[in-house]
Amino acid sequence: MNSGPAFMKKIIFVLVYSIAALSIFTYGKTTENKQLSYLLSGQYTDKMTEATKKLEELDTAVKKTLLFKEEEGSARAREDIWRLSSEIKNSVGSLPLDRGFSNSWMNYLGRLGNFAKESERTGNTEEYHKIMTEASKNLRNMADEWEVATSGLIDGSMTIKGWKNQLESVDSAHDWAGMTETVKKNTESDFPLTASEADSQKKKDLEKLTDKNISSDEAIERFKILFPEVSTGSIVVETSKPGSPYPFYHIRFAKDQSIGYIDITEKGGHVLSFLAERPFTESSLDFSVIQKRAEDFLSNSGFGDTVYEEARENNTAWHFVYVRVEPEYNAKVFSDVIHLKIAKDTGNILGMNAMEYIQKEETKKQPIKRINWKEFFHSNVEVINEELAYVENDRLEQRLSHYLTVKMENEGITETYKVVVDTETGEIIETEKQQ
Amino acid sequence: MKKIISHTLIAMLLLGCAYVMSPLPTGAFSSQQIQRGAFGDDVIELQARLQYIGFYNGTIDGQFGYGTYWALRNFQEKYGLPVDGIAGNTTKKKLVDVSDYNEQFVKNNINKGNKFTHYGGTPLENQVSKGTGKKKEVQLPAKYSDQDLKLMANAVYGEARGEPYEGQVAVAAVILNRVEHPDFPDTVGGVIFQPGAFTAVDDGQIWLTPNERAKEAVLDALNGWDPSENAIYYFNPITATSKWIWSRPQIKKIGLHVFCI
Repeated sequence: MNSGPAFMKKIIFVLVYSIAALSIFTYGKTTENKQLSYLLSGQYTDKMTEATKKLEELDTAVKKTLLFKEEEGSARAREDIWRLSSEIKNSVGSLPLDRGFSNSWMNYLGRLGNFAKESERTGNTEEYHKIMTEASKNLRNMADEWEVATSGLIDGSMTIKGWKNQLESVDSAHDWAGMTETVKKNTESDFPLTASEADSQKKKDLEKLTDKNISSDEAIERFKILFPEVSTGSIVVETSKPGSPYPFYHIRFAKDQSIGYIDITEKGGHVLSFLAERPFTESSLDFSVIQKRAEDFLSNSGFGDTVYEEARENNTAWHFVYVRVEPEYNAKVFSDVIHLKIAKDTGNILGMNAMEYIQKEETKKQPIKRINWKEFFHSNVEVINEELAYVENDRLEQRLSHYLTVKMENEGITETYKVVVDTETGEIIETEKQQ
Repeated sequence: MKKIISHTLIAMLLLGCAYVMSPLPTGAFSSQQIQRGAFGDDVIELQARLQYIGFYNGTIDGQFGYGTYWALRNFQEKYGLPVDGIAGNTTKKKLVDVSDYNEQFVKNNINKGNKFTHYGGTPLENQVSKGTGKKKEVQLPAKYSDQDLKLMANAVYGEARGEPYEGQVAVAAVILNRVEHPDFPDTVGGVIFQPGAFTAVDDGQIWLTPNERAKEAVLDALNGWDPSENAIYYFNPITATSKWIWSRPQIKKIGLHVFCI
């Protein structure tokens, strides 16, 4: 048994020891946090300074391009605009800024750089001069605003904590909302959406769907016809929220061990996407059986105008890609694609994604110029396969193209590429190395 | 007695026929045909055997891409087989006859993430060097890398591990939608580490080890699935403190997350 005073002594010793250990630990942690905070503050300040400096350079580069009438004189400066706007965009993306401002600022910089690059191709110097004169003024104003807004952190009078607090504060010292609005207005006036960009957005938002609305019962019926193996269990139907650009039914299901969802548009009852999750067995069906299941499913479900493009095997399933074929030229349309996910153990359809297929691309007729591939490629390159395909170029236009599979022999190593060449202009739209 | 002998002979003949007709009597190949897009042990054996006899110079990674395809076609041509770039029973049997496969050596080095080759005529121990320590676990569409998958799986696990599978795919899809959107950085890493963008980055949960479910969800998103229906934001209405996020047009709710644009 412990005597009273001795026991008290031990207790006091343990307490003092614990408090001392805790204090040392807390001191250590605080010091470490402070060091980390200084480090982070240093990194952010560096990025901000860099962005400010590059903004000045960008402003100068834009002005330089306005000096010359001839395109050649400004080619280098245009390249600088593209490079600098891309670098500033990267800096802005890694800085703790007001979210709205950061988003619209990155958008503006991206469009400025793309416009400078694209204008080299179009060669419309008059239009370039008009737009960039306006952009130059706006850029100058923005650079001044940016300098004022970031001065606290750059000159060291503000900590990173203070900076963040200021961003989140309702009475922020700087009018970020005002800056956001200004950048948005400048983007709309300097670089409005092109017709192709607007079309691309309309397709994404399924704006052009004119089909009749279906009821939720009809949506369930569609689900049951397409996927009978998982649609006989419990089903919950919800509608999309009012902010959705296209209204749809969101159906959740559970059947035995399978659970998942299917989204079906209200207009026309088109399947947007379907995905099921369940445990898998070790067994595996042959690829030919699985591919046949995929193709039978597509032809029986109203997607018979698609053809196989590629497939990838993974642990439990195969992911398939099918593309629509446009009948005029028998050309694949790579923007109208359907993805299927098929279980290796049973061959059941586990997933389908047809969002891009629903609203089909409007393709135009286009001349097809003969190209001599032997002159087009180096002598160690062999064209293995040649097809026609509609492919989106970097101006978001659908272009009829030669879709080539080529192989290149180099010191005993064979490399394979997909090369996409515009049938009319001969422009190389894409070159992708194959695995 | 005659009957017994004739029955025995017939039985032996039938057994012999069955043996000859069986899908694959030799090697460790499964009975499946192997073609472009395939992934796994059969492809590893195929690549190793083709390399053993000098037809394949690429990495033995179990991924049947064009490198393996051309090597297989060259092999088929050399041995007078139908040239189709598909390893069916006849091709596999021929390959097993004319090559060797040290499964233990190959699998060990793959699991250790070593750099190695499997050429015949050179001691195997001389064909190994230290690699990245990582082995290829999945096949991705050409425009994504293993690093993208890893970063996204970390983000999905840190942000949404308690959510339904659909919700996890949706979070991964939001990351990809941002990469494509002009208002955000252009890379997966840039989007994930944009300051203030993801709670899991701020509180360090992004560095937890993701489970297989999170990886599978990311794989589905990388293969094109988007249960968020083109969302670029999401938030948990119970914990969200930002007033701004409530001003975004909402698309749908999955689990605890509301997805918006």
